[in-house]
Order: sequence, then C-alpha cells, then structure tokens
Amino acid sequence: MVAALAAVGLASTAVLAGCSSGDDGASGTDDPAASDDGGNDSENLNEDGGGETCADNPDNPLCGSSDTNMQGKSIEFGYSRIGGWPPSAAPEAMWPAFQSYAKETYGYDVSDLAFAEAPFGELFQKIAPTLASGSNEFNLMIVDSQWLGALSEPGWIVKADDVFALNPELDIEPYSSLVTNTYQVYPDGSGQRWGFPQMPDTQGVFLRKDWLEDPANQAAFKDATGKDLPTTYEEYENILMDDFLEIVDFFNDPSGGIYGTAMMYSKEYDFFSCAYYPFAYSTGGEIWNPETNDVYGILNSEVNAAAMEKFVGLSEYQPETFATQGIGDMIDLFTQGRAFSAFQWLAVGAFMHNPEAPEGGVASPDQYIAIPLPKFEAPDGDANIIGAMGGQPWVINSFNDDDQMRVSVDFLKWWYLPETQDVFILDNGGLPWSKEGAANPAYADIPYLKPFLYMLGEGRSQDFWHLPEYSEMLAVQQEAFNGYATGTVSSAAEALDYSAAKQQEILFNAGRTTVAPPEGTAGRTLQ
Amino acid sequence: MSSSSAPSSVASRLEEGIPAPAPPRAKSKKTWWSWGLLVPVLVFFILMNVIPTIWMLGLSFYNYTLTSSGDPRFIGIDNYTQLAGAGPLWLSLGRTFTFMVLAVAIQTVLGAVVGYLFWKSNKVPGRRLALTLLFTPMILTPLSSGLFWRLMLDPVFGVINYFGELIGLEKIDFTTDATLAFPAVLVVDSWMWIPFMALMTLAALGSVPKAELEAAQVDNLSFWQRLVHVIIPAGKFIIILGILLRTIDVFKTMDLVYLMTNGGPGDRTELIAVALYRLAFKSFNLGYSSALAVLLLFIAIALTSIYLFVLNLRSRREAENA
Repeated sequence: MVAALAAVGLASTAVLAGCSSGDDGASGTDDPAASDDGGNDSENLNEDGGGETCADNPDNPLCGSSDTNMQGKSIEFGYSRIGGWPPSAAPEAMWPAFQSYAKETYGYDVSDLAFAEAPFGELFQKIAPTLASGSNEFNLMIVDSQWLGALSEPGWIVKADDVFALNPELDIEPYSSLVTNTYQVYPDGSGQRWGFPQMPDTQGVFLRKDWLEDPANQAAFKDATGKDLPTTYEEYENILMDDFLEIVDFFNDPSGGIYGTAMMYSKEYDFFSCAYYPFAYSTGGEIWNPETNDVYGILNSEVNAAAMEKFVGLSEYQPETFATQGIGDMIDLFTQGRAFSAFQWLAVGAFMHNPEAPEGGVASPDQYIAIPLPKFEAPDGDANIIGAMGGQPWVINSFNDDDQMRVSVDFLKWWYLPETQDVFILDNGGLPWSKEGAANPAYADIPYLKPFLYMLGEGRSQDFWHLPEYSEMLAVQQEAFNGYATGTVSSAAEALDYSAAKQQEILFNAGRTTVAPPEGTAGRTLQ
Repeated sequence: MSSSSAPSSVASRLEEGIPAPAPPRAKSKKTWWSWGLLVPVLVFFILMNVIPTIWMLGLSFYNYTLTSSGDPRFIGIDNYTQLAGAGPLWLSLGRTFTFMVLAVAIQTVLGAVVGYLFWKSNKVPGRRLALTLLFTPMILTPLSSGLFWRLMLDPVFGVINYFGELIGLEKIDFTTDATLAFPAVLVVDSWMWIPFMALMTLAALGSVPKAELEAAQVDNLSFWQRLVHVIIPAGKFIIILGILLRTIDVFKTMDLVYLMTNGGPGDRTELIAVALYRLAFKSFNLGYSSALAVLLLFIAIALTSIYLFVLNLRSRREAENA
C-alpha cells in the first residue's frame, strides 16, 4: 500500500508541476507587490491603468458606477467581517441606507448584504482559501492590518492607489501618518497603498471615575501615599506608569473580588503581543528591523526582556485567570465592577459600559474616564509612550466582476461621506481617522475620543509586521510569550530568544532576509 | 444406483420437479448488481479520500505557502529533511504518544471495571437507563464536551472549583496551569471514552461461553482464576480491538485540546494533530504541513495494520478451532 501511495504521489508531483506558471517552477520568488500593477491579474485592472481618468472612460469599473452603466441592474453583494468585533459589524447595520443610496444615485438594486464572519484568529483562514481559488464570494473585506502583505502579494486585492487615482475624493487626508502606514501601505515604507481605513484603533486605559471621585477613596489614598488621587483626564494624560501603578495597587483587593487592573495575556491571535508591545517600544525596545527583515538580535534584547518581566509582573493586580484574558474578558471584568481599570483597545469604548451591569458595575459612560497609556521613562530620560496600533482596513477583492467592482467603489464613496461617517461614529461605535473627522465637533462628546486621538498622534503608536509570514511569526511568539506568563517557559529572555530565532528562521526560509538563524534553531524547543 | 444419485438430464430434472441451475446470465446480473452497489461508494472514496491523499503526497515535495505570491516550487525531500530536524514537532509527537499511552491505559482499566460491574448487575432495576446515561459522553461531540468542561474547570465560576472551595481547597486554574493542563485534558478525554471501553468489555464478557462459566463455577474457581483462565481467553480479541481503535483515535485528538487549552499553556498540551492544524491552517504552509501529514499517515497505517493483523488472527484461530 505504501509503495502504491508513493508511486501515485510522485505522479501527482507532475500534476502540481503543471500548475506552475514559471518555466522552471521557481517563479515563486517573483514579487507581484513590487510590480507596477501590484500583482493584480484582474483583467479589468490591468487594462485600465495609466493616467486615464473617469471622464475619459466612465465605464472603468474602478471609477464606480456612472449615471447610466448600472441602471436597472440587480447585484448580489457580500463582505467578510471579524466576528465578536462590533465595529466591523456596523456596515451590515447601515446597509439599508446604502441600498437606498445606490438606487437613488445610480439606479441599481443591491441585495441584502451577505456576510461571513469569524473571530480575529480564524477570519484569515476563512477568506484566504476562497481568494486562493479566485472566488468573489466576498466582494469587500474588513481585514486586519497585518494581512495586507498576505492579501496583496498573491494579487488577491485591488491596489487602493489605482482607485485613488480615478477617484481623488476617496484619497482623504489622514489624521497622522500612522493611519496610512498601518491600514494602507505594503511593503512597509514603499508608499504603495492597498487598504481603505475602516475602523482605526489605538490603546488606552479605562478607569473607574466614580471610584476616583469617592471622597472616602480620596482620603484613604492621601493617608496611604501622602498624594492626592488624580481624577481628571488632564491629570492622567502624562502620568508615569509607576505612579499609575500606585493607584492600581490602592484599589487592588483580590480578597474582596476587586482587582487593580486587567490586561491581555491570552495566547489567542495577537492578544499578548499587542498588550506587551507598549512596554517594549516605550522603553527603547524594537521587535525587528523592517528594512532588513531581521529579528534575531533585536527582539531578544535585554530591554525587551525587562519590559516583559514588568508586563507579566502586573499579573499581581489581576485575577488568577490573567493568562487567558482577552478583549472580552477585560470588558466583563470592568463593566461588572471587578476591576478598577482596564488596559483596552479604545475602539471597544462603546462597550465599556453596560446598562444592565450588576450593582457596582459600570452602567453608564459617566462612571469612567478613558486615558492614554501611562508613560514610561525612555532611555533618554524623557517620559515616553508608544502604543500598539489596532484597527482594520477595507480591501477590495480583485476577482470581483465589473459590476461588483463598481458597487465596491460606490460603497466606499458612500462610506466616506460625512453623513455616513456620522452614523458610523455616533450610532455604531466607530472612530474618526481623518483630519476632518477628528476635528468634527459632533464627535467631541465621545468619552474615549481624546485618548484615542492622543495615541494616534505622530510617533505615539506603531504597528507591527505586514508580511505574509505574519501568521507563522505571531503563532511562535504568542506561544512563547504566553508560556512565560504561565510559567512553562523559564524566563522572559528565553521566550524572546526562542521567538527571535524561530522568526529569523521563518523570514530566512521565505527569502526575506539573507541572515540565517542561529545554528540549532530548527531543533530548538521551548524551555 | 438410485435415480437421485445419478446425473440427471434437464428433462428428468423437470420431471422430478428439481429446478434447473441458474443460467450464466443470472450470475452476470448478480455481479452487475453488486458492482452497482459498490460503485457509488468507490467513487465517493476515490474523490474524497484517494485523490486528496495523492495530492497531499505530491504537495509534500513542494515549497508552497498559500499566502505567498509564488506558485508551488518542487524541492524534492526538503520538507522531510526539515521535518527530521524540527524539534518542537518531535516534542509534540512524543507528547502525543505519552497522551495516547496514558489515555488508553486509563480508559481500558476503568472501562473494564465499569463494564464488569454492569455485566454483574444484569438483574438490577434501572440498569438499561444507567447504561444509556453512561454512553452519553461518547455520543457528544468533542467540541461540546471541551466547551462545557472548560467552563466547569474555570477558576472563577467553574463548578469544580466551587465544590473545591466548599471543602477548603484553593481555586485552581486547571487549563492554564503548567502542571495540570495536560492531566485535565487527559481526564476529559477519559471521561468521554471510558464508556466505549466499558461497552467493549460488555461485548467481550458476552462472548464468553456460558457453559465454560458454569463449569468454572462448578469447579469452584476463584474470581482471579475465572478471569485468567476463562474470561480473558474468550474475550481478549474484543478488548484488543477496543484498545487499538482507541489508540488510533487518541492519536488524532485535536478538537478537544484545541477548545480546552488551545495547546497551551505554552506548548504543554500541543499534540501533533494540533501542531499540524496550526501549520496547515494558521500558517498556510501547505508543503511542509503535507509532509507532516504524510508522516502521521504512515504512523496511522502502522497502527491500522496491527488492528487488521489482530482481526485476521482471530479469524484464523476460529477457523482452526472449527
């Protein structure tokens, strides 16, 4: 049986070789992202490049619909979104408004929005195989910023620059370069844009304002520390981490079921990594060299190890289950009144109160204040904070047919209308990412807008890899980092060294770097 | 010579009322009917099993990551040589064998005890209901079992910690504790599959000839003597088959672990099937993961061969006895 299998297996290699478009089967080294058309094989994209405008050729699908070319048509449309992440479900709730807009403006009917969803860690698994098979099941997709390389290199998504060239109104000035670098550009630093910002996100901390303002707490804190308990956003905007932890410690009462804070240490997706990064970035650590794609010698630094020890050390202010905490757990701990504070993505601000919260919980946004991440002392002695970027862009499926492509562009034109953004931000928990949106006075009352914009300021946050290998690299370090948190890995230095070696190996094997991993990396296991 | 013993002509057969042998066409019809029944199954088997296996085997000689821009690139046995040096995967494989040995041992011993108790209690009222309830865990999907066990083991609101606290124990986070996570998964897997081994034990005990048991009773043999000389020789084939089936099944354990611990904490519960899942469907490293899948296929084939050997052995013994 084994011999028979081997024989037919060898025969199948010939079939696979036949799939290869290259002469010698080595064409896998080609980099479509570096080509002029960004690797898009879609016929309608290639033939419509260049300096053409929509006035020259209104039927170019990337122009969207003209007054006439979609009249009377009926289009089926679908998108993919991140399950359990409310901001990515907003388009579905707002879809009827787009249906009316499409009918009134362009004269076509578009179906009810079909959608597929999966949690952060699984959505890529859902959409990648469909795109690999050339499917247009998902015409538009909300994706994580880390996926830009994986989606653009095989030519699965439309290059946003092509759409901007034909529709300058979509090329909106961002609040800062962080928006462009996080949600749009791949390869890093190339200036080539693939994504359209959907939901921007930065990190902050939610605090129990009602507890801070309680005179009994203020008096007790004064007695315990000799200091006044800060109560306003302004007092917290520049607070140092050690001063902040003094307050966390004051409220920490595990025996009474109250914890000082809540952070993410889960092995799931990028939860641990993103929560840890600010501790590393802000104290002078780096996770890789984006120019040479090297990791070893950078991630496994003493600074990063000290930052990880500090980060994991904060588990003393958190429940025993800290090592499995994710976004949802932090919402629960905070809204149920079991934690004084929560280090959280600000995009979930709308869910950090719950009108049905139990007594002692957070039933109203008046009960909390949201602040930027506390600052660390940087190597130069200055107070410094660099958070991790969150959030997601839209991307357009390059396998869309012409009509679906037009509807996708129409949708984006509608999505970025100020009145649509108002509904997204004011009624559906969205956040602004453009200069104009950030200055909109209508959004000023959003309780977490101020820290969000603060962290979106130049140099205050940074995103990590957008390479197609992100998933492998992330899985390695999530396992090692979480292993350190749970005690299965002996030290932070070991977790970082293991991750750095394995990531160097992944990038070396993928041809991203010429520097080989240290000897023995392949056989290395977590200690 | 009697007429009945003489070779009879068709005419004489008709006279005697003996039906003529079926013509060759009837035999051919039967063959076609058999093939007609077999073909749909074969087509399904070839489409869903043989072709993907061949494809996987072929892919294992290629460098192909779904998310990379390139086409599959033939690299010969590079994936296999890389596999040979992949420490974490061998660690996972070792962990899987440990899990397999412990799980099958626990399930066999406890399943045998439970099965024997049921066998001896055939006159107890409510036995049938108890048997039905006993088999419930086996019927549930590993996904639902994993989910509710994770909730029961939860250190904050889990019922197990609640009762533990009532008797003065400290709360334990079973699924993230470096020492307890592996045993926790082992316990849940055993909870699910002890009923299966109990069922196999019942079947084995049912196959012991009554006459031999009665003879043993007349000879006044002790429990152990009856077990060693009567029960085990008669029922061992069924038990061995149960053990082999469980061995093959435990080797493939993935969903239960994925849901309970996600392979954690760190890599403490990362069995080889979970590692394969990560490689194939998280990293999309299809060439390399195919090589690992081929390796696991050969291990599964080896285990299945033992299973088939035992089955044949039994058939041969029965034939010899007959």
